[in-house]
Amino acid sequence: MRGFLPRSAQSARIISTSMNANISSARAIRIVWRTYASTTNTTKPAFETPHSQTHQVPHLPETHIKSFGTSKVMAGPQDVPGAAVNPYKDGPSALDKAMTSFLFTELIRGLWIVLEQFFRPPYTIMYPFEKGPLSPRFRGEHALRRYPNGEERCIACKLCEAICPAQAITIESEARQDGSRRTTRYDIDMTKCIYCGFCQEACPVDAIVETQNQEFSTETREELLYNKEKLLANGDRAEAEIAANLHSEHVYR
Amino acid sequence: MVSLTRTVRNFWRVGFREWWRQLQYIGDAKSGRLVGTDYFGNRYYENLNAEEEIPGRHRWVDFAQHEYNATQIPPEWHSWISHIRKDPPTEDGVMAKMTPPWKAPYYENLTGTRGAYRPYNTVARKIHAWRPVTAPRENSAHGS
Ligand code: SF4
Ligand code: SF4
Repeated sequence: MRGFLPRSAQSARIISTSMNANISSARAIRIVWRTYASTTNTTKPAFETPHSQTHQVPHLPETHIKSFGTSKVMAGPQDVPGAAVNPYKDGPSALDKAMTSFLFTELIRGLWIVLEQFFRPPYTIMYPFEKGPLSPRFRGEHALRRYPNGEERCIACKLCEAICPAQAITIESEARQDGSRRTTRYDIDMTKCIYCGFCQEACPVDAIVETQNQEFSTETREELLYNKEKLLANGDRAEAEIAANLHSEHVYR
Repeated sequence: MVSLTRTVRNFWRVGFREWWRQLQYIGDAKSGRLVGTDYFGNRYYENLNAEEEIPGRHRWVDFAQHEYNATQIPPEWHSWISHIRKDPPTEDGVMAKMTPPWKAPYYENLTGTRGAYRPYNTVARKIHAWRPVTAPRENSAHGS
C-alpha cells in the first residue's frame, strides 16, 4: 500500500504515517492529494512514479524548485558561517506548510484517527467481570497476619504506630496470661490512612500487611474504623494470597 | 461496538444458552478456556489468543450470583483475575503451600447489609461518665 502513497506531498506523507495500517485510508489520501495537486497545477500524479518508494526523505520534484524557487532558501554569501548547512533542507517546503495550514489537514487527520478508533474493538475492561492488573506489592486493605501455627504475629512493638505519617494506627497492649505481650487494641482509621505502606515496612514480624484487596468500600464512614478483630479476620481470609505475594517478592527485599 | 465477526464466532462457540447469559451479565460475547471454579460456583475463563481477546481482557469471571459483586471473588482467585499471579490457584504450588489450615471462609464485602462490620471497642473503658448517684438522706426533716 505504501507504493501508492504520494511521497512528494509532505502533508499526505504525515497522514500516511498515522494511517498506513488501514487499506481504506488510501482513498482519503488520494482526496487530499487531488486537492494538493489541483492547487499546485501539478500534471504528473506522484503515485505513478515508480522510484518514489526508494526515497526516504521526501522532496519536491525539480520542476517545483524551478517554478517556486523559494525552496532554495539560505542562498546567501558563502562566507557567512553555517551557510552551507541549510536547516530547512530535509524539512517540509514552504508550499507544504502552506497547504497544511490552509487545507486544515490536521483536522482531517485527527478526525480520521477518531473514525479509525470507532471501528476498532474497545480496550474497555468490563469490570467486575474482568479486572485490571495489580502488582503483588499493591497496597490495599490492611490485615493482621498469623504464624503458620495460628499464633498472631503482632508483638505490640508499636513501630507501625510510630511511623504512620497519617497517625491512623492506635495501639494499646497488655501482657497475656502466658506472659507474652499482645495488643488489646489495634485500630486503624482507614479514612485517615494514606496507604503509604510504611506500617508493613516497619513491622519486624510481618504482622501488619496491606493486602491486594482494593474493593473494601463501605456505605458509612464508621465501617472504615477497623479494629483488631476485623484486621485479624482480613488476614485469616486472605492469608494464602498475602503469603504467596510476599513469597514472590522476597527475592527483591 | 465490538466486531461482528468476534460476536458471531463467540456465539458459535459457546452456544445460545451461554451467549444469552453472557449478554445478561457481561454484556459481551466471550469464549475461552474454563480455568476453574471456586467454592462459590464462580467460573473463571481465560483466552490467551490476542487475536480473539484484547490483552487485558483475557481473564474473566462468570459470577454465580445474580446480584454479582466484585468482592465475591475469593482471595486466591482474586490474585489470578487481577493478573497478580500467572497460574490459577488450582495449579499454583506456592499458593497451595502457603494456605494455612486455619484459613477462614471468605465472605464478600457486606456493606449495606445487616452483616456489615460495625466498629466496637476491644478494650475495657478507661474513662467513665459521671453517674449521678446520691446517697439517701437520713433523718430528713422534710421527709414524708
Ligand atoms: S499505610 Fe501508611 S498511613 Fe496507612 S496505616 Fe500504614 S503507615 Fe499509616
Ligand atoms: S503490627 Fe508489627 S509494627 Fe505494629 S505493633 Fe504489631 S509487631 Fe509492631
